[in-house]
Amino acid sequence: MIQINGLTKIYKLNAKKMQELKTKENKKIAVNNVSLEARPGEIFGLLGPNGAGKTTTLRCVATLLKPTKGSVSVCGFDTIKEGAKVRDSIAFLTNEIKLDPNFSADYMFKFFGHLHGMSDEQIVARQEELFGVFGINDFKNKKIEELSTGMKQKAAIAVSLVHDPKVVIFDEPTSGLDIVTARSVTDYLKHLRDCGKTVIVSTHIMSEAEKLSDRIGVIIAGQKVEEGTLPEILERNQAEDLEDAFFKLYSKYHVEK
Amino acid sequence: MSGMSIILKKELKRVFGDKKLVFSMFILPAIIMIALYGIMGFMVGKMNSDIEEHINKVYVVNSDDRMKNAITQSGFDKTSDITYLSEADYRANEQEYRDEILNGNAEMIIYMDQDFDQKFKAYVDSSSPVPALKLSYNTTENYSQNTYGMFMNGVLEVYRTGLLEERVGSLDLLNVFDLQNDVIEKEEKAQSRFISMMLPYMIVIMLFAGAMGVGVDAMAGEKERGTLASMLLSPVKRTSIAAGKIVAMMILSGISAIVYVVSMMVAMPVMSLMGGEETAMAEGFGGLSLNLVQGLQLAAIALALVFLFVAVISFLSIRAKDTKAASTLISPCYIVVIVAGMLTMFMSGKEVPVYRYLIPVYGNAIAIKDICNGELLATNFLASLAGTVIIAIILTIGIAKAFDDEKIMFNA
Repeated sequence: MIQINGLTKIYKLNAKKMQELKTKENKKIAVNNVSLEARPGEIFGLLGPNGAGKTTTLRCVATLLKPTKGSVSVCGFDTIKEGAKVRDSIAFLTNEIKLDPNFSADYMFKFFGHLHGMSDEQIVARQEELFGVFGINDFKNKKIEELSTGMKQKAAIAVSLVHDPKVVIFDEPTSGLDIVTARSVTDYLKHLRDCGKTVIVSTHIMSEAEKLSDRIGVIIAGQKVEEGTLPEILERNQAEDLEDAFFKLYSKYHVEK
Repeated sequence: MSGMSIILKKELKRVFGDKKLVFSMFILPAIIMIALYGIMGFMVGKMNSDIEEHINKVYVVNSDDRMKNAITQSGFDKTSDITYLSEADYRANEQEYRDEILNGNAEMIIYMDQDFDQKFKAYVDSSSPVPALKLSYNTTENYSQNTYGMFMNGVLEVYRTGLLEERVGSLDLLNVFDLQNDVIEKEEKAQSRFISMMLPYMIVIMLFAGAMGVGVDAMAGEKERGTLASMLLSPVKRTSIAAGKIVAMMILSGISAIVYVVSMMVAMPVMSLMGGEETAMAEGFGGLSLNLVQGLQLAAIALALVFLFVAVISFLSIRAKDTKAASTLISPCYIVVIVAGMLTMFMSGKEVPVYRYLIPVYGNAIAIKDICNGELLATNFLASLAGTVIIAIILTIGIAKAFDDEKIMFNA
């Protein structure tokens, strides 16, 4: 379970950043009073254009960033007060966080397993399952730097799940993957949901969000502008599909901003 | 296993699991250093033997029999092709002879006054004119420079002694006192004079270079690649991650420094072996002998220095955006370390106040020098350790805080 209550994240800007962003304000509101909830046994799709605040929101959930205002709790643990417990409860995957290219998937899996306090036996059992699902055994001893994009992504997903977390947060998990690999990832996410895990997926691909998500939240310009099941969102926005609804929301809130 | 030891193991594996990295970090510098000093020794030896074997072309103008005898007695004629010229012959082609010296085709012209013998014999007292002996040679030519040295130390001494004996009758008359040198010194200080000057400088430089090699990549490199963030997502405390990395870097840079020092120790005899004779540097390295306490003191100071250097490099690297920016930030520190090491090379024997031992790097370099000389006091030893370790601990706290700082870690 993830509960986000009135999350606001404001970045302070130095002179260089202000110049880069062509602004006179010395702060940037990345996320503004966002509240949402992702429940066990569901996949929550988080949608939004680039720079909308999705990654910042997810980073606050993963304890990498501290909220300026509001609170975030994961499995009942507060991200500020109980950061270590939160980190032990989640799998977090983004394109910016990578595995060390100097090591093999096998070593990285064991390394992160040990960091999560797992025994060698537990790690081996978990490795058999995950490496089997993602077909990593064929290249498990190759260095990460020698792997293709798809192989790297599979390895990263497997490593992030080593400790069998209750909450899974994936930012663009199928980005850069071929259709077969992408399908294996989305299938596994469904499997995780069916196992009672809380899954949040941030994506740009509307069709993927439509098929995968049980509920969807839309963030535009740092604000949550929509949350609900697909039929609820389509009805509220009088849209034919999710892409249509998204563009209606985007033109409404982006212009207003 | 604790979080710190897991990180430490991983950091060590990153280096020791990569044969290429082990070769470039530990083996290649040793090979390069030994080969470099060997080549230097070989080249110096070759140059010396070449100079010794060279037949020097020398012109002697207006020579008398005494000079000819001195040349023969000193053996100068065995290494030189000597042409005796009259005043007229010399004056007729003076510029040509000088050009030969200038162009390196001849080594020296020894010009004696035409009336050298008359002036010598006419000498009565200090108001009497003395005959001149003019030596023309080229300081930019090795052969010419060497010929000058051989003449001054060999021929001239014999010639001068002969003339003095002729003038005063017996050389014993010139012996007015018996000079006796009674050298009072500590044997270990005398033996290690050179190394006590060089070792502090070498140790601080090599320890810093070793730490820089591993530190920049372990912090700024991992941050740049996004691999550090993956560790921050684990439940392990940030201080454990920082400590694991720092201890690993201390071990790696310590090994790197040991490799450098051992290579230097091996390289010096190789240099003298290749050169065919012992050089001053090679001799100086043989003179250091430390007892157990001194050895432990040296190890403790080296360890404190490694801790400081790793902390400084990590502190700056973690704040840098990438490895390039980290190197730019660290470069001024390297210069400071070089200067601090160099300052101890030119210190007089004046007693150093305790507060100077508290200055990191500089104080450690003085302490290392004192260890080599067998003069390190317990208070100074402790002061040099305290100053360095305190600063290193403060920096380590700063590094652990940086791991928690989203602005530093994620440019937020």
